[in-house]
Amino acid sequence: MTAGTLPIWARLTPVSLLRSIFREDRFFLILSVFIGIFSGLAVVCFRFSIEWCRIYLLGSGVSLSPMRLLLAPTLAGLVIAVLAIHVFPEARGSGVNQTKAALYIFNGYIPFKTAVGKFILSALAIGSGYSLGPEDPSLQIGACLASAIGRRLRLSRERMRLIAPVGAAAGLAAAFNAPISAVLFVIEEVIGRWTAGILGSVVLSAVSSVVVMRWFLGSESLFRIPVVEMRRPSELIAYSILGLVGGLASVAFSMGVGVLRPRFRQMAPWTQYFQPAVAGLLIGCIAALGAPQVMGAGYEFMDQAMHGQFTWQFLAILALFKIVATLLSFVSGTPGGMFAPTLFIGAMLGASVGGAEHALLPHMSGSPGTYALVGMGVLFAGFLRAPMTSVFMVLEVSGNYSIILPVIVANTLAYVISRTLQPTAIFDTLTRQDGLELPSMEELREENILHVEDAMRPPKGPLLEGSDPVEKAARLIAQGPHGILLVRVEPAGWYSLTREAIEALTAEGKGAEPLESALTDEPIPPLYPDQPLDMVLRYVDRWPLVPVVHRANQMKLVGVLTAREVLARYRNFGEE
Amino acid sequence: MATGSKGLDFLRDRRHEPVTLALLTLLAIVMTLAVTGLSRIYHGQQEALAVRWSARGVEDLKQQRFGAAVGEFRAALRYARDNDSYQLNLAEALLGERKTDEAYAYLINLWDREPENGLVTLELARIAASRGQTTRALRFYHNAIYAIWPGNQEEETRKSRLELIDYLLGIGAKAQAQAELIALEANLPEESPLQAHLGGLFLKAGDNEHALAAFRLALREDRHDAVALAGAGTAAFEQGRYLAAERYLKEAVAAAPDDVDSAARLATTETVLGLDPFRPQISAATRDRMTVKAFSAAGDRIRTCPALSGQPPHGRPDLVQQWNNLKPRVTEYGLRRNPDLVNSAMQLTFNIEQQTSGWCGAVTEADNALLLIAKLHEEH
Repeated sequence: MTAGTLPIWARLTPVSLLRSIFREDRFFLILSVFIGIFSGLAVVCFRFSIEWCRIYLLGSGVSLSPMRLLLAPTLAGLVIAVLAIHVFPEARGSGVNQTKAALYIFNGYIPFKTAVGKFILSALAIGSGYSLGPEDPSLQIGACLASAIGRRLRLSRERMRLIAPVGAAAGLAAAFNAPISAVLFVIEEVIGRWTAGILGSVVLSAVSSVVVMRWFLGSESLFRIPVVEMRRPSELIAYSILGLVGGLASVAFSMGVGVLRPRFRQMAPWTQYFQPAVAGLLIGCIAALGAPQVMGAGYEFMDQAMHGQFTWQFLAILALFKIVATLLSFVSGTPGGMFAPTLFIGAMLGASVGGAEHALLPHMSGSPGTYALVGMGVLFAGFLRAPMTSVFMVLEVSGNYSIILPVIVANTLAYVISRTLQPTAIFDTLTRQDGLELPSMEELREENILHVEDAMRPPKGPLLEGSDPVEKAARLIAQGPHGILLVRVEPAGWYSLTREAIEALTAEGKGAEPLESALTDEPIPPLYPDQPLDMVLRYVDRWPLVPVVHRANQMKLVGVLTAREVLARYRNFGEE
Repeated sequence: MATGSKGLDFLRDRRHEPVTLALLTLLAIVMTLAVTGLSRIYHGQQEALAVRWSARGVEDLKQQRFGAAVGEFRAALRYARDNDSYQLNLAEALLGERKTDEAYAYLINLWDREPENGLVTLELARIAASRGQTTRALRFYHNAIYAIWPGNQEEETRKSRLELIDYLLGIGAKAQAQAELIALEANLPEESPLQAHLGGLFLKAGDNEHALAAFRLALREDRHDAVALAGAGTAAFEQGRYLAAERYLKEAVAAAPDDVDSAARLATTETVLGLDPFRPQISAATRDRMTVKAFSAAGDRIRTCPALSGQPPHGRPDLVQQWNNLKPRVTEYGLRRNPDLVNSAMQLTFNIEQQTSGWCGAVTEADNALLLIAKLHEEH
């Protein structure tokens, strides 16, 4: 057997095998797995730290002493403020926007110190009872780690830009134990577009981080999912009411953040030292007054709400207090995430609305657990404005496809209401308050783009066939105002002929020859009406008149375009 | 700095990517080992806290300090969320606190995971019973009977069935209770207290025959069991077997002089036996004497009944007239001469007692006995 007849695998030498494995794109994929592993490990440690802070600051029991409830968040707030002002100023906020900023402004650069600060301050804040969650900080920690690895490996600028979202997906997936939702959220809210190049890396990092997290903390979800089902289509009416209420609550919550945050930040600089402490004291008061459930991430209470362990009236009170506590925590500049509070509010609101509906309309409403679950998605869609993630998150967390209809109906309604009453999404509001101008993912998703059909005009001029003689083309050019003619040559395609080209052919004595034999250029590649207008820019430089053809019959002309018309259309875009 | 930069450039060189990945792998292993150490500390602490809070909860549950127990089991569950035992204990504490809805939520979750768990199913049956959800309660009780129980499976199954029977008797479903009792009887050991309890339940279900059989089994083991004696007496009495009833009740009263019910039932039995001329194995003279006595008691009933004074309403037989007509012939002499008169005299006596029982208020011991005799002979 000669070398040429050997199978491919037999021809591989160790060196060629390594080269094949370590092609740059493949290397990046492998690197994504490592980013996932490191992020997963970091998130596991982060979870341990939060729990230890909670045990040592608030106590290990559930009946907490009022003194601890008041003192723990207050004193922790003082420490957090000092550290956030003097040591880790980048650690403030949720972390989502900082990751976006790394992608769009800082070429993927996030200082490692930010991860350390985020880790320490968020663990202290959440553990001491601030109404914040660990997901957004985990996202940022993952992004920071990825950025640090990328810098150490001196990755190219293009790869560096992509590496932060890869780490972000890993961090979020590990924190939320939901890889699909994490990938979707990062695509939907951080990157803003689907590209094959990044998707593989994001998925790999998310999956590997979840594997690591489950290795250490088990595969159980953050809350036990009750039996969820939709028995009758009429229940959709009840879920629509939940969507409506959730949408309004999202707007109130979002407006609260939008209005209060800048006011807190405008206060005298010395007040920054006390803002987290005062917020902590007020949250402690809420807890001491009978609602300790609002402290921390509150997953165990979401679990209890899903299993019908609170009355609907108390659930409504908890939702209200949680909004207040989260507003206080977030606008005071305490580092921590918005995911868990959003889910908490959604769960309480959902179970409350479900309970009230069940009391009033027992035949039209389902179990409170289902409502709580749908409610989470509703707030996610309405407040965080990530509609796709909100649907998939509920499906992934519940592992039950049967509730997709209520989820879609309620989430869509909440999203539309929130969008109508609060045009700017919360992440965009926060970005602008921070003085940054990052692309709005919501606007990107809904951005109108121009198509060929928006600029083309009907074909009015004379049209030549390939069989026509060159003389005919010369005659038409001489008679009319047309400087350019289109020629249809079957089956080759379309050509454009300028006055100069025709005159040259005539001068060469080819006047009697058919056009198809006289034409020597390549035909114009077909252009269709539904293609983006940007495509035309590749044509107009070479062909002054571009034919637009029918997709079903490429010999049928539906319009024509020139460079001037394309530019005029761009100039007018947005004015109409 | 230059050295460091050179080192980093080494990593950047694509020829050294395998080395880079090897270093990353090494780092991942080291970090994994470190996190494993932390994880052990973390999980150890969580486990210890769960055990500690659960132990406190169990102690408080035993002392019936349900409020404290609820908090403690909640804390235990915080560290061991899926521990079924803690959840069950919490549900019990919540039931003690009368937080039925919340307890139900925990129990139904446990039941979803372990539908064969007897303890959980029985608690769910109790909750359904307390909520008046009969169908659901019966379903859970039956599930509990055929569930898996820790410890003595047979005994727990028996207890569940006994509880179901109590529930059925409580809601007046005597036929269903009787069916369950027959199923219980087949698997019950012949221990005196158990058989006596079974007999009592049969009595409540109205199955006197099975009741008497159960009490007799109980007495086979302990002839002086006062409860079994009283139960057997009652069962025999209800069946109209007054001689047997008299025997059991006398022994019951002798064994438990404070048993007022048995004493009263014995008195009625003795009266019945003293007034029933149709009793087998009595002499003709005794029969005649009893007939006269019974007839005389019916006459007393007529005389003391205000509703019978004056003319009877249209359609009602004139019992006073009939009794007065028969009275001269109902003597011991008259009956001896005409034994067939016993039947006529007793028939009129029964008519008087049965009809006056609806109109004439409280009855005497003799009237009561005559009603029982009338019922007995109607049945036969």
